[in-house]
Amino acid sequence: MIRKLLLALILVTGMAPSLANAKITSEEWSAYTDRFVSQEGRVIDDGNGGISHSEGQGYGLLLAYLAGNRADFERIWSFTERELLLRDDSLAAWKWEPWATPHITDLNNAADGDILIAYALALAGAAWHDQRFTRNARTIARALGRTSVFEHQGELLLLPGVGGFGPKARRDGPVVNPSYWVFEAFPVLARIAPETDWMRLSESGKRLIRKTQIGERRLPAEWVSLANAPKSANGFPAMFGYNAIRIPLYLMRALENDAELLRRLRDGMTGPNGEITLIDAVNGKIAAQLDDPGYRIISALASCVVDRVKIPEELRSFRPTVYYPSTLQLLALSHIREDRPECL
Amino acid sequence: MSLTTSVKSVAIGAATLSLLLGTTAFAQIRHYWDPNAPMVSLEVTGTTPAAAAIFDDEEAGEPQLLAQADLQPAPLAQQAQDAAPPEVDESALRYFARQGDKRRLEIEIARLRALYPNWTPPADPLATPVKTDTALEEIWQLYSEGKLGEVRQKIAERQAAEPGWTPPTDLTDRLALAEARDRLINASNLDQYATVISVASDNPQLLTCSEVDVLWRVAEAFARTEREPRAYDAYKYILSNCENTNERVATMQNASLLLTQTNIADLLTLERFDSDGKGEFAAIRDDLARDAVARGSKDAEAAVPAEELKRVERLAEADKLPSDARLLGWYYLQRKNHIEAEKWFRMALDGEPSADAAEGLALALIERNAFAEAEELMFRWRGTSDNTRVVYLAAAANLLGTEPRPLLTSEVLNRIVAEVASSRYVEGARQLGWYSRAFEQHTTAKAWFLTALSWSPDDEPSAYGLALTYHLFGEAAELAEIKRQWAGRSERIQLVGVAVTEPAPVAPRLSTAQEPLALAPTQPAPRAVVTTNVQAAQPAQPSQPTQPVQTVRRTAPAAQKAAPAASASRRSCAGQIHPESLSPEAALNRGWCLMDANRPIEAAKAFDVALRSRSEQVRRDASYGQSLAYLRAGLIDNAAVSATRAPQSQARAQELQTSILAERALGAFERGRYVEAIIALDQRAQIAPERIDLMVLRGYAYMKLGRLSDSKRVFEAAAGTGSRDAIRGLADLRNLMNGG
Repeated sequence: MIRKLLLALILVTGMAPSLANAKITSEEWSAYTDRFVSQEGRVIDDGNGGISHSEGQGYGLLLAYLAGNRADFERIWSFTERELLLRDDSLAAWKWEPWATPHITDLNNAADGDILIAYALALAGAAWHDQRFTRNARTIARALGRTSVFEHQGELLLLPGVGGFGPKARRDGPVVNPSYWVFEAFPVLARIAPETDWMRLSESGKRLIRKTQIGERRLPAEWVSLANAPKSANGFPAMFGYNAIRIPLYLMRALENDAELLRRLRDGMTGPNGEITLIDAVNGKIAAQLDDPGYRIISALASCVVDRVKIPEELRSFRPTVYYPSTLQLLALSHIREDRPECL
Repeated sequence: MSLTTSVKSVAIGAATLSLLLGTTAFAQIRHYWDPNAPMVSLEVTGTTPAAAAIFDDEEAGEPQLLAQADLQPAPLAQQAQDAAPPEVDESALRYFARQGDKRRLEIEIARLRALYPNWTPPADPLATPVKTDTALEEIWQLYSEGKLGEVRQKIAERQAAEPGWTPPTDLTDRLALAEARDRLINASNLDQYATVISVASDNPQLLTCSEVDVLWRVAEAFARTEREPRAYDAYKYILSNCENTNERVATMQNASLLLTQTNIADLLTLERFDSDGKGEFAAIRDDLARDAVARGSKDAEAAVPAEELKRVERLAEADKLPSDARLLGWYYLQRKNHIEAEKWFRMALDGEPSADAAEGLALALIERNAFAEAEELMFRWRGTSDNTRVVYLAAAANLLGTEPRPLLTSEVLNRIVAEVASSRYVEGARQLGWYSRAFEQHTTAKAWFLTALSWSPDDEPSAYGLALTYHLFGEAAELAEIKRQWAGRSERIQLVGVAVTEPAPVAPRLSTAQEPLALAPTQPAPRAVVTTNVQAAQPAQPSQPTQPVQTVRRTAPAAQKAAPAASASRRSCAGQIHPESLSPEAALNRGWCLMDANRPIEAAKAFDVALRSRSEQVRRDASYGQSLAYLRAGLIDNAAVSATRAPQSQARAQELQTSILAERALGAFERGRYVEAIIALDQRAQIAPERIDLMVLRGYAYMKLGRLSDSKRVFEAAAGTGSRDAIRGLADLRNLMNGG
């Protein structure tokens, strides 16, 4: 706990990673940007037809910050602000398609994208003493608190999007997505937008993850209906899916070391050879088997935290594959170098 | 920071600057409209305003502004004069000069002059590159290409590489402004009006005459968020300060779509006039008058000022636009002035054949009992829409029901029969029964009454006619059965064969007096069918008593263009005139809407955007629409190109092709290229029957080419249809041959 607070304090008081002590190397970062960031600062999800989204822009900003590359941070932000940050409520429209006119094809927001953007901006604003970033971070965080943080049965929860998930919007609403809780961001948001009780939101999120256990493997569903006892939401696959893979990563990056929880998550999502398996909770069949180092490293990291097993060599080097696992791998590597050197 | 900004009134600013600048950049002075402070424009002589303006409600805006004006700082120019000669950053100026970007160069000279009155621009901005900062030039290059993210990147890279280097404030200010502009436009395209307004209020320097588009978007955002006074201010700013006539006209157009009448009228007073006294808003005034008449054409209660009505009448007479004449026709029809209505509909039809005008004319003709002409007129259009079919059938039923019964030619009767049958039109079948009965064709009459009852078993008048026929034929069992069926429902059926007043069924000639008296009051007048909700195939309940004619009021194109409340349907064609900002699907809709509004050139542009759709259907429709738009605009070659931009159905391809070839023939003839005209006509004749007017054209083309016998043959064939033009052509031909 002390360490966590310390981390938050460091982040907001401006110990900027410089190029020299960055936890993502310049080689790694340029390999990443060459593949996934356009000249204009658009983060490209090549696994989804080359579209862009607020989550990708948020990751791009966070990784640029962690790589200590302000120039790239600037261009990604310029694009994000001009092209996505258009909603009347100050949140980002989530979906941007290169061939569509207008480029925004879904004006709804995605709360994780907004959190990532606000978080990265807050870090950058403090580190580089730039009010532009801080001011925008605050605007987004306040807008999120105003529109998307809500009280439900004694818990403080996060709407995945302003439209379509609330108790009135659907029969099984509210529906939440546990992987949208970017735990490391909450202490930072609490500092810049104290009107919202971000730490309570954080604790509710952890309780939700502990409580929601579906299928034999007792993993949280990706989309959870909270109309009654937590269960998989209607219309979504009842499974621990691609989104959910981030849950243990976010917990560990926030220095949440609940060994019992991490062990359950790791065991539930990991195949016999360290690959990640996504299992359909209804029929028990393997829906996907993911061998990419960006996925495997999350399981390996959990093993280091709970069993003190070192990260295998082959997961330590970064070679971009596709957008999503490549992003996860850099998030994991930067965290290990920063906070868990014992894993190397 | 505060030194870089000064606030002056428009008048002072403009006068001072125009003296300073001579003529070069007079129109480029960077005034801007301050959305926070209605109707006072600020002149940007520096960069960002010192105090970030807070966006207030209008109540708060004005006092705040007045306070600013009272505390007017000494003009910066003055301060600059007193101080030591300033270091003038000419890098942007030299850059634009090297790029040959004259417009930006002039703006930059104007800006620097306003900022530093003692400064004289270099005689040759290309000549003195004292020291060239190539890295900075690269950044300017990216800026001018609109690569704003990369500009940010390069600035940060250079700052990292060269500690202590700071980018010129000129660059950072322009960059921030360009980013704001992008964001404002993107938000506007998504109807995110709060974002539009907040960006604009943070960046009032965007709101200048050189960015009229941005001003329009801000005005729209205000109008759409219940702040019409602010929208009005923005339009008023443009019309008071900006010079470009096209933009001024478009401004007035936008305003007329978004503001209420009073404000529109107020803005119209800012019109400018050319040396001939012609006002720049003449066309808009015309459209507004059309809108008013269109409102009146849909709603008899809508008050249309006499001057507006007169204006449209003058237009219709002078410009001969069939759409104007149609509008007036519907207007008068709605007010039951059938004589005027007929006049205008006829004028419209003289200009161009159209189902809309034909329908209106037919209704006016029905009103004055000219059923035969109405039937004749509508026959061609009967299949165009449900409405035209209803009007045709009404005309036909009225014609059959005329007393004394008219002797119709077999051609007319046959086509009525065919149409009644295919439409399963109960009133028509019944009227055919009575018509047959009148001419003593009782077997036919019986068949029609039975038909009518098979379509509508509850049609009492048909049952009555049938009962009379059974009686006539002595078919007692059938008569008894029908009486049983209608027991308690129709007294007169019960009385058939009983009442002494029963008409002599086999009267040799049926005059009005001999018509069964009982029929007269209750037999539904065919007019009753002319109601808006009557479906041809499903007639109204026959027991309805006679109803007055209700105008079949369909959404005539002209009327559709101007729905009464400046809302829904108007909005579809309203808003910004930027088809580029629309999705292909939206652009397609807008295209059709503009076609309805008779704005074919804009429609063609909208269809152009729609052609980028990934949906083949949308592209096909867009290509078809664009082709029609160009045809309407008289741009035949463009129409031909458009028609090939997406594959069309056989029917559409043929429709377009025949129209294009007809237009081509006309155009060629008008240019005196008679051989080409005939080639086009021949091509057209291969895919469609030749219209009478085109036959006449062909006749004249042959005449011009000296092919007199061909000409004669064609004119004679056309004259056989009763075409007056063809008869005239024959006369011309005779004159030519006689006169040598």
